[in-house]
Amino acid sequence: MSKLMKYEFRKTLATKLILLGITAVAEIAFLLGLYLEKTRLLATSVAILTLLAIGGILMIGLGSILIFHRDINTKQSYMLFMTPNSCYKILGAKVIENGLSILLGGAFFFTLGAIDIALLFAKEGNIQEMWKWIEDLIHSINKNIQLDAKGLACVTFGLLSSWIATVTTAYLAEAVSAALLNGKKYNGVLSFALFLVITILLSWLGQKATQAIVSVNLGFLIQGGIFLLASGLMYVATAQTMERKLSV
Amino acid sequence: MQYDPNSPIWLQVMTAIKTDIVTGKRAPGEKLPGGRDLALQYTINPNTAARVYQELEKEGLCETRRGLGTFVTEDAARIGVLRTEMAHQAVRQFLENMEKLGIYANEAARMIMEEEQ
Amino acid sequence: MLESRAITKIFGSKTAVDHITLKLEKGHVYAMLGPNGSGKTTWMKMAAGLIKPTSGEALFEGAPVSIESRKHVAYMSTEPYFYSWMTVKDVGKYYDDFFLDFSYPRYQALIQRMELAENMKTTALSSGMMAKLKIAVTMARDAQVYMLDEPFNGIDLLARDEIRHCILEYATEEKLLLLSSHLVEEMEAIADRAVFIKNGRLIECVDVEEMRGERGISMADRYREIYGHGEGAMA
Repeated sequence: MSKLMKYEFRKTLATKLILLGITAVAEIAFLLGLYLEKTRLLATSVAILTLLAIGGILMIGLGSILIFHRDINTKQSYMLFMTPNSCYKILGAKVIENGLSILLGGAFFFTLGAIDIALLFAKEGNIQEMWKWIEDLIHSINKNIQLDAKGLACVTFGLLSSWIATVTTAYLAEAVSAALLNGKKYNGVLSFALFLVITILLSWLGQKATQAIVSVNLGFLIQGGIFLLASGLMYVATAQTMERKLSV
Repeated sequence: MQYDPNSPIWLQVMTAIKTDIVTGKRAPGEKLPGGRDLALQYTINPNTAARVYQELEKEGLCETRRGLGTFVTEDAARIGVLRTEMAHQAVRQFLENMEKLGIYANEAARMIMEEEQ
Repeated sequence: MLESRAITKIFGSKTAVDHITLKLEKGHVYAMLGPNGSGKTTWMKMAAGLIKPTSGEALFEGAPVSIESRKHVAYMSTEPYFYSWMTVKDVGKYYDDFFLDFSYPRYQALIQRMELAENMKTTALSSGMMAKLKIAVTMARDAQVYMLDEPFNGIDLLARDEIRHCILEYATEEKLLLLSSHLVEEMEAIADRAVFIKNGRLIECVDVEEMRGERGISMADRYREIYGHGEGAMA
């Protein structure tokens, strides 16, 4: 399993290095803008860093779906399926590698963001007032949302988990497309419909389950848990489909 | 070695080894390569190589000593007989070819004499 | 050692393999023959457990092919399949990571014989070099069964000799080799049995030396009989 994960990591390495490189450049621009007091550079770099944090996490997930697609639909599939590893292990390595990448990537951007905001506060006193204003605005919408580190961490966890569930749902749709609908009419449409239905169902379930919970933080944590559990179910369903029906 | 794919390859390799024995390229009592080495030397299937030794042994041209390998027979008389056999076979082959041209034994013999001069 | 029972594979409306029952025994080199599209590759992939049969089954040592059998069956596909980021060395390391019977020193010796270097990028290899790399990495395993799909494709004359040697070195009494090719002549001397497949069906499995002895025809002659135009009596 560790060997399979090593190669899954190797496959996604290029994406991650590119992402890291761009982030490093944007971060340097942010620091230069902050300490040389170049407002435009600062504003641009903040915008880029925010986009990178969201886009980066999306990219890691999308990249892994793309790799999975190639690993079950092209000749490259022999690399995995000729080895003495079950589909559970082969897919498991992917799910773990990707789940960890998304969570760790999220933690990385979260930490970087926290550091940058702290630096910003230390340098610019009047920004603190602006932050207060944003907080008030959000509280006027929902009193329970806390714009502190703890609250943001809970939100981030909830969002990352829902993204992991979305990615594993895409795995299932890919596996169904390759194993069950291969060569059939409307393959693409049907597997995409399957993906949409499950994704919508999951988000509905996540909302329903946390409706009665007052604490927003706890709500996000529970939602995150549900999404991770759903990811586990998607994993089992995908591996089972592959084990029984997939020809590469 | 080039093989004629229309006749058994073991027979062709066997003939090649027989020729080696008759010409002395493989001396009496000399150790022959093992079956697997023979297969590699001639680029033939190992089962085919094993068949070669079986047949050579059957004809008394080589012998397998347990644990030691296969050796060319030391029986000089047997090699002599082989030489004659092969010579006869070559003559028969030659005559067959001549017959295809409508030339029969007597005329062929005369032609050989002429060629010799 | 390796067998299929009424194995069938249907792709959409095309029957690629049609009820083939075939038993291959160890200690032999089999040539699997037939034109492109006759079903050789599909049969092999089912025997390797890569393709799931529509019906029937493939067995290794009496048990259905599985993850366990992949430990003992080395399969080489016609198409290149290595990851694009790999060098020749990475390919060897990959096999070394996943197959207990893989020997890296033997791999190094083989790539040297094939005139390849460890630092070559797989994406930069010519088709002939790629074919040699596939053979080297497959034969560096000490498997019980080797299935090589079109091992001579795209390979020059000298390298073909090298490959034939390499195959023969591994053809012991304990092993089974199955080679598919449409280059029949390349296999005349190294295969002792021939499996003829036509339109997804098994025509026959013959001992080639016996056939030469009894009928005075070669594998190539039989191939022409079966697939050539004068096939009326056969089909």
